[in-house]
Amino acid sequence: MARRDYAQDRESIKTFLSEFCKCDDDGKKEFVYGSQLVKLAHREQVLITIDLDDLAEFNESLAEAVIDNCRRYTSIFSDVIAELLPSYKQQEVHAKDALDVYIEHRLMMESRTRNPMEQRDERNSFPSELMKRFEVGFKPLSTEKAHSIREVKAQHIGKLVTVRGIVTRCTEVKPMMVVATYTCDRCGSETYQPVNSLSFTPVHDCPSDDCRVNKAGGRLYLQTRGSKFVKFQEVKMQEHSDQVPVGHIPRSMTIMCRGEVTRMAQPGDHIVVSGVFLPLMRTGFAQMIQGLLSETFLQAHRIICINKNDEISDKDAELTPDELEELAQDDFYERLATSLAPEIYGHLDVKKALLLLLVGGVDKRPDGMKIRGNINICLMGDPGVAKSQLLGYISRLAVRSQYTTGRGSSGVGLTAAVMKDPLTGEMTLEGGALVLADQGVCCIDEFDKMADQDRTAIHEVMEQQTISIAKAGIMTTLNARVSILAAANPAFGRYNPRRTVEQNIQLPAALLSRFDLLWLIQDKPDRDNDLRLAKHITYVHSHSKQPPTRVKALDMNLMRRYINLCKRKNPTIPDELTDYIVGAYVELRREARNQKDMTFTSARNLLGILRLSTALARLRLSDSVEKDDVAEALRLLEMSKDSLNQIHEHQKGHVPNTSDRIFAIVRELAGSGKAVKIADIMDRCTTKGFKPDQVDKCIDDYEELNVWQVNMGRTKITFM
Amino acid sequence: MPCAMELPSTPDELTAQQADSAALKDLLKDPSRWHAIPLLNYTPLHKLKDQTLVRFRGMIQNVMDPEMYLERFEVKSPDGSKRVQEGKYRDCLKMATGEMIDYNADGNVYGERITLFVVSVPGLNDWSKEHEKQCCPQIDLVSLGPSPSSAKKRAIVGEQEAMEVDGASETTFKRPCLKDIQKDSEPLGASHSSVLSSEYLINSPLPNRPSMACMVKVYEEFDTYQLNSLVDFVGFLSVDASLDASTLDIDDCENLSELQATHPSPLLIPRLHAFGVQVLPHANPLLDKSLRQPTEICEETTYPTQLAVHKDLRMLLKLCLFDDDLAAEYLLSHLISTVYSRFKMQSIGKFALNLCNLPKECEAYATKLYKILELLLPASHYLPMTLVTLNTAAFAPKMDYETNKLVSGVLQLAPHTHLVLDETCMQQGKLEANGVHAIQYLAHLINNQELKCDFQFYQKDFHANIPVLVLSEGRSMLPSDFVLPINADAKAVELLDESLKAALHIMQPSRLQQFRKYLTTARTSSFSVSEEHTEMIQQDFVDMRKANAKINGDDLHGLLVLSRLLGIARGKDTLDKETWQLAREFEAKRRQRIQSLPKSSAQLRN
Repeated sequence: MARRDYAQDRESIKTFLSEFCKCDDDGKKEFVYGSQLVKLAHREQVLITIDLDDLAEFNESLAEAVIDNCRRYTSIFSDVIAELLPSYKQQEVHAKDALDVYIEHRLMMESRTRNPMEQRDERNSFPSELMKRFEVGFKPLSTEKAHSIREVKAQHIGKLVTVRGIVTRCTEVKPMMVVATYTCDRCGSETYQPVNSLSFTPVHDCPSDDCRVNKAGGRLYLQTRGSKFVKFQEVKMQEHSDQVPVGHIPRSMTIMCRGEVTRMAQPGDHIVVSGVFLPLMRTGFAQMIQGLLSETFLQAHRIICINKNDEISDKDAELTPDELEELAQDDFYERLATSLAPEIYGHLDVKKALLLLLVGGVDKRPDGMKIRGNINICLMGDPGVAKSQLLGYISRLAVRSQYTTGRGSSGVGLTAAVMKDPLTGEMTLEGGALVLADQGVCCIDEFDKMADQDRTAIHEVMEQQTISIAKAGIMTTLNARVSILAAANPAFGRYNPRRTVEQNIQLPAALLSRFDLLWLIQDKPDRDNDLRLAKHITYVHSHSKQPPTRVKALDMNLMRRYINLCKRKNPTIPDELTDYIVGAYVELRREARNQKDMTFTSARNLLGILRLSTALARLRLSDSVEKDDVAEALRLLEMSKDSLNQIHEHQKGHVPNTSDRIFAIVRELAGSGKAVKIADIMDRCTTKGFKPDQVDKCIDDYEELNVWQVNMGRTKITFM
Repeated sequence: MPCAMELPSTPDELTAQQADSAALKDLLKDPSRWHAIPLLNYTPLHKLKDQTLVRFRGMIQNVMDPEMYLERFEVKSPDGSKRVQEGKYRDCLKMATGEMIDYNADGNVYGERITLFVVSVPGLNDWSKEHEKQCCPQIDLVSLGPSPSSAKKRAIVGEQEAMEVDGASETTFKRPCLKDIQKDSEPLGASHSSVLSSEYLINSPLPNRPSMACMVKVYEEFDTYQLNSLVDFVGFLSVDASLDASTLDIDDCENLSELQATHPSPLLIPRLHAFGVQVLPHANPLLDKSLRQPTEICEETTYPTQLAVHKDLRMLLKLCLFDDDLAAEYLLSHLISTVYSRFKMQSIGKFALNLCNLPKECEAYATKLYKILELLLPASHYLPMTLVTLNTAAFAPKMDYETNKLVSGVLQLAPHTHLVLDETCMQQGKLEANGVHAIQYLAHLINNQELKCDFQFYQKDFHANIPVLVLSEGRSMLPSDFVLPINADAKAVELLDESLKAALHIMQPSRLQQFRKYLTTARTSSFSVSEEHTEMIQQDFVDMRKANAKINGDDLHGLLVLSRLLGIARGKDTLDKETWQLAREFEAKRRQRIQSLPKSSAQLRN
């Protein structure tokens, strides 16, 4: 690579700074850097950040050169700016601090003592660092990807790199000397010593002409007031857990922050740092034991704190177009659902519901009243139907989650009592209260075995999304915006279809109704399913990988990021859908009255439908809820009710097939009238969990039986 | 000819040889070359010279950040002349007085290296230590330096001497080097007010069975070093006193504790610059080719078949388990179990066993059983689950950001280190936060064979392979893959002491060696299932489900693991119908036993 011509670069930097402009909306030219230079000149701004995107637009090779040799260009930029500044000064600047006054005084004194005939710039004797009251920083190209610490290697030395990680330690912000100023005790002249490293050796002998010529042997004394200091902070950063390969320890890195980039982060913050990777030569002890070693550090130019709630996220977390395309396929809803706990076969509707739980509905606050958006689900079922696996998977997938069992060890950071069963000698743990992750998922296994007082706390959490704590005589209420995913075993070993849900699980109806969806998972011996499971397990044992399946399961990480993306959406329900939802709800209530339903239908169901449909809209990354979302929400609700009722039907011995059931609905819809619109039938049937093709089949079947007639346009049927 | 080349004995020789690393690696392929190198684990530090070739065996406890060093640099002497120095495999500069490093010379080459914090295998049992020690060439200061052939001869002489001395002075092996050091460093420590204790610096996973620590610097293939794996390093010792940060006065107190933690006294924690590395598949020294086995073992010609050893071993375990045949089978399976594959969140092959229903009459039965197991296994640890232990002991490793050190915990064990949890000593009481965490870490380890490390801002899982055996009166409060209530009739309980005596009698030294070898061989052997049998298993599962709907996928996992281990224990390498049927039979029996257990109040509530 040819050496760059720095003199030429200086010139182009000068033009860049003074001439670079952007057009704003009105077509007016805006001099981005010119206006900043004015502020710098007036000491209204300290840090000037050069966006490399702008520089690349102006001169691409120059931007590359800056990235490759950042430290050098930082000083070139700062020199150029120092040169330009006087011409940008539009008014007299008031001294802001002692140093300003000092500089002014010195300049005045210099001009007085010097021979006016001598054409000499009075600043020459002062080191440029002393006079510069601004800082230069670079903002990396927007295409630059954040590295993990282990990717930063020796070849990055001197270059501008961007690193992502978590802050583990910060020192206090301290002053660091940039220019040391000394006065001589003999001649009184000032000597300046620029300091570039972490430590410096003080000068003792006066180098001024007076002392040298006279051999006066003047001693120098350090002056604090005249020296220039800069804020300085050392930050330790560590890789985040997702950047560490399996079986490795996270690496860490030291970041040196100076001036305006100090106090940007605290331990525990996720940050993206852009800076120059440099070797550091230690002196003193460090040099003695590590003469061969040089530590490395990152001289920070820009620190961004990625807050969890912040919209600004780093490049890594965003989905690439490829990934988006993969997700944007037609069956993405099914694919996402099947990718949940792929080792568990079937239960697609349950998985869909769990997916919605992860995404969550939209919180609403009409007139101070708060309606939660989080979806609560309770899975019931006989022991050993993979409920715990589902819970375990969800708690791993969710970014913030808590997995506890109703009895046994509970939340984190609490005490628990060890009890001995006098009869069997069995040791059991009686857990304390539950710790909930705000804005997370709380998975509670063996929900039915939970102590009563804990359940009372759950009541509050589930509806009000707060938790009340009494401590030291003060009652406080904390936010606990969690989704509850509970798993419960039937009270009598197996689910008894002749009893109601409350009786089966021995949970009060008040608590059960707080779940948006109750699901009974059944595991009936079924040859095909069992064989498939057996095949899967034997395959895993002998090949230690997932058997090839038709639909490839999505990567957990990708799912997590997609779900995060979904959560940012806040879809609303358009007014025209209100009637449809209300109608569906009224229908639900009516049905619950007519049929001897084992579940219950209450106003909470209506809210549940709203939550599920907003979650579905979020999943589509849409800003408004569509009719299909509501239909799917109703279908899921119906399916969950079905799962509880279906055993009941089996018991009766008479199993109406789908067509018969749809016919019954149509009959009902027609009432006394003779003609029914097919669109109405479709609406009604889909809310009951039937698919359009099933409805079509029913219509065809009964047409063949001459029960009704379908008109030519296939919009209406008329009973014969 | 690489054979003609000898291993360099100092870094200078290595430079002089100008050998490329590939040739050196070839050289190290010959196990006999490993034999002659003294083991740092068993050689007192004062017998070794700085910058000589040594070996260190242990578990990687922590991996530190990479450091940059000057691989080659120019040195300026006061008279202006320059020379080029090598910096690889060294900590200290070799310079005459007045010489200076020219940091800005064009000839300087920077390299990267990583420091591994290695501790000697935690929980290594006394017999394995004793055996490793016997295999280690003993060195006295006189024998340093001369050609390896004479060193070998002398080593043998030295070995015998050392053994005599050992027999006279100490029966149990306690790191003699460490004791020496502590004596040496005491006056030093007093004058310099060291902030960190030597226990903290050495960082033993098991505080009551302290390990020895060594900081190993590796120069290549950084990504191959996984936490908690067992590795044997060959390299140059570096014990220069200037490496000690605690002996220096520093004004800048900001990172003093970190500096001390990363630069402890080399007498306490020696440094080793590794150029030869060997990952150990297991900790059993009897089957380690890189150790020179004592002659009597090599000469043993009559190897009994796997089947015969299996029978004897089963007999032995039966004796210790109240004459319970089924329990002996399960315990044996547990002893040879290993996680042989991982798939997503499952770890396949784990065999966490809970032996419950231990008779209350037998005082301290768990410790007695452990005494036997200790003799059989190369590495194991007995952990009494008392409230005090749970509430106070450190279980999972935790990152200390003040010193940048991963503070170890009881669960940081090398693969195949058996953890025996004794729940019989648990009392009613209150578990503090630490205890609740401990239970969670244990449960996570048992369920997933993963060790959670606490990095304060997040937790990270590391793969583990630690078979866990829980001994309890009732069913354990910890999860397990197999719960087996022991059938102990009154007569067997009465005879327990006699049986244990008999068991100890059976374990003659030669037979004991057979058992030890058998267990490790069985653990590392492979096993496969043919297509035909896979189908049979699948069909069987469908039928089982028909018969009993409560059977689920977990049971099939259990059956597959059990049948594999039963097969391996009987010296088979593929599954046959017989073994499969045996496994089914055993599982049925076990299920029956669990059924007949008295129901606890919690279960009755259901």
